[in-house]
Amino acid sequence: MLSSAQTPRLLRSPAALTFKCLHTSPILTPASTSPSPSQILTNRKALLSRQTSAVDLAKSFLQRLRRHEPQISSFLYVSPDDIVLKQAEELDNRIKNNEEVGPLAGVLVGVKDNICTRDMPSTAGSRILENYRPPFDATAVRKLREMGAIIIGKTNLDEFGMGSTTEGSAYQVTANPWDLSRVPGGSSGGSAAAVSARQCTVALGSDTGGSVRQPASFCGVVGLKPTYGRVSRYGLVAYASSLDVIGCFGSSVADAGLLLNSISGFDNFDATSSKQEVPDYASQFVPLDYLESKPLKGLRVGVIHETLGNGVDSEVVSSVRSAISHLEELGCTVSEVSLPSFSLGLPAYYILASSESSSNLSRYDGVRYGNQVFGEELKSLYGDSRAEGLGSEVKMRILMGTYALSAGYYDAYYKRAQQVRTIIRNSFKDALDKNDILISPAAPSVAYKIGEKKNDPLAMYSGDIMTVNVNLAGLPALVLPCGYDGGSAGMPVGIQMIGAAFDEEKLLKIGHIFEQTLEGYSFIPPLVADE
Amino acid sequence: MSCRAVMLLRANPQLFSFRNSAFPKALQPNKRFYAAKYSLEPPDVTGLAEKTRISLTPKQVEEFAPKIRQVVDWFGLLQAVDLQSIEPALRADTEGDNLRDDVPRVFDNRDAIIAAVPNYEDSYIKVPKVLNKE
Repeated sequence: MLSSAQTPRLLRSPAALTFKCLHTSPILTPASTSPSPSQILTNRKALLSRQTSAVDLAKSFLQRLRRHEPQISSFLYVSPDDIVLKQAEELDNRIKNNEEVGPLAGVLVGVKDNICTRDMPSTAGSRILENYRPPFDATAVRKLREMGAIIIGKTNLDEFGMGSTTEGSAYQVTANPWDLSRVPGGSSGGSAAAVSARQCTVALGSDTGGSVRQPASFCGVVGLKPTYGRVSRYGLVAYASSLDVIGCFGSSVADAGLLLNSISGFDNFDATSSKQEVPDYASQFVPLDYLESKPLKGLRVGVIHETLGNGVDSEVVSSVRSAISHLEELGCTVSEVSLPSFSLGLPAYYILASSESSSNLSRYDGVRYGNQVFGEELKSLYGDSRAEGLGSEVKMRILMGTYALSAGYYDAYYKRAQQVRTIIRNSFKDALDKNDILISPAAPSVAYKIGEKKNDPLAMYSGDIMTVNVNLAGLPALVLPCGYDGGSAGMPVGIQMIGAAFDEEKLLKIGHIFEQTLEGYSFIPPLVADE
Repeated sequence: MSCRAVMLLRANPQLFSFRNSAFPKALQPNKRFYAAKYSLEPPDVTGLAEKTRISLTPKQVEEFAPKIRQVVDWFGLLQAVDLQSIEPALRADTEGDNLRDDVPRVFDNRDAIIAAVPNYEDSYIKVPKVLNKE
């Protein structure tokens, strides 16, 4: 069994079902509040019972956003106050008239800037799309608006989703709200930081190789990567089309799940979107009082052996092992699973992603949209527009991807990477036939310092080892905070739970119960905690 | 600066020593076969920049070349794996294709598309003269 060396603690009565974690942050006091099950539902209740108004709620978020934005820089664009407040006022009027309101009514949402919004710029973090205003909303954005959400702004990212720190943005570097000298992770670092700093309730990100899950771990928030095809990619600026998904950030599992509920479903505009029925994810968030003493009894959890060895920070291993003990206390049967092909996923991912991106980014030629550097001939218009508009990391990946796809090299690189994808897909399927979920850390370390990996591509790429295989297999995964690194910075550690295709329900159920029974944490960064 | 994550890739002999008999046979190396089949030239960054239509200065070529070489060498790890009889996967294949009928639909916001064009004149998208090479 994989219990930690410590004796598992006996549970108290079901009504007070909690698990005292073995590591406490030196920053938060042990008496801090239990995690809120859902900020979305708490605010909704307050709105519908007229305890607060949508206008007051929006004002408080806008004030907090502007207060912390000079330090964090999570937003590339903030919606003007009058537009946000007008939407809030319209909602207040509907509530006053007892009209029906959508499930996300009044919820302030951040949207990663590679997801198209009709009335706001969408730059994908790149100068080549500076000031670009798409002529349409992404399907996910359209659905959010239909559900009553208010989009508070567009969040920062590594350019075109290529990066793991958000330092690759052409505009600004986002800081981690837990420690402003550290990265928030990437590429959806802006969204993760915004939710962590409570600048918005929830946020959309995108995940091609871990870009929702790794920043969620680094920023101490919940990140949910759905099954490939669960959420329409229409309006998501394409990076690697066989791997890209839109994902959800929240300060709780329930909030991430409620967001997923709103954006999932088949879309005619995305041929890879799934026709599988969308279950009601909200039904998984059972209040603690209704749970038995071992609410996860019978659930089989497989810990991926290759993810807890050398090269993973000891504090990350320790937090994850503690989380495993917690799952055992909740009734799970935990065993070890070996996936020998695990390490092949990383080079295979970077071959596939670079290759597909070289094709997807060929449309940025300065002709039909974006910034243009006019030339004497067409070739120099293309060459100079792309040279000026695209950043270094993006250029490198396009060059590498073109190489991997070239005649004479295609079989050696791209085709072999696709074969590795088959192996990895099959190995995950076999493991998930024998287990309900698989477990690993979300990243081999906590958030590192800004600038630490900027000039070393392989060092940055290697941090994705925990996440890329899930994209190759197209599976859903949930990351939630499970502890701290125990150092003086007290940086959060995230655990990754991987499910079978379209089994987000199970992930959300397990994640919610895990989170709600984890005593002693509120995972609010000090920057915000004192407010 | 050393990276602990890179250590993860290098540390466990099982991960990289494909000769380990515990390693599945399908993933054992077959170096002789692949060395004969593929003689891979290192990337020519100047040539690639030409193909991808990105104007690079000589200084940028000098800066990118070693980094690209390092990453491509790392890609080469996959050469040592025997992948015969493994079908390549185009995508995760969580579901089959859901193609819609090929029926044209009118987009409702043509004006916004045209407004985004950097150089537009008299209903034409303006580009420099396209020179044909003899």
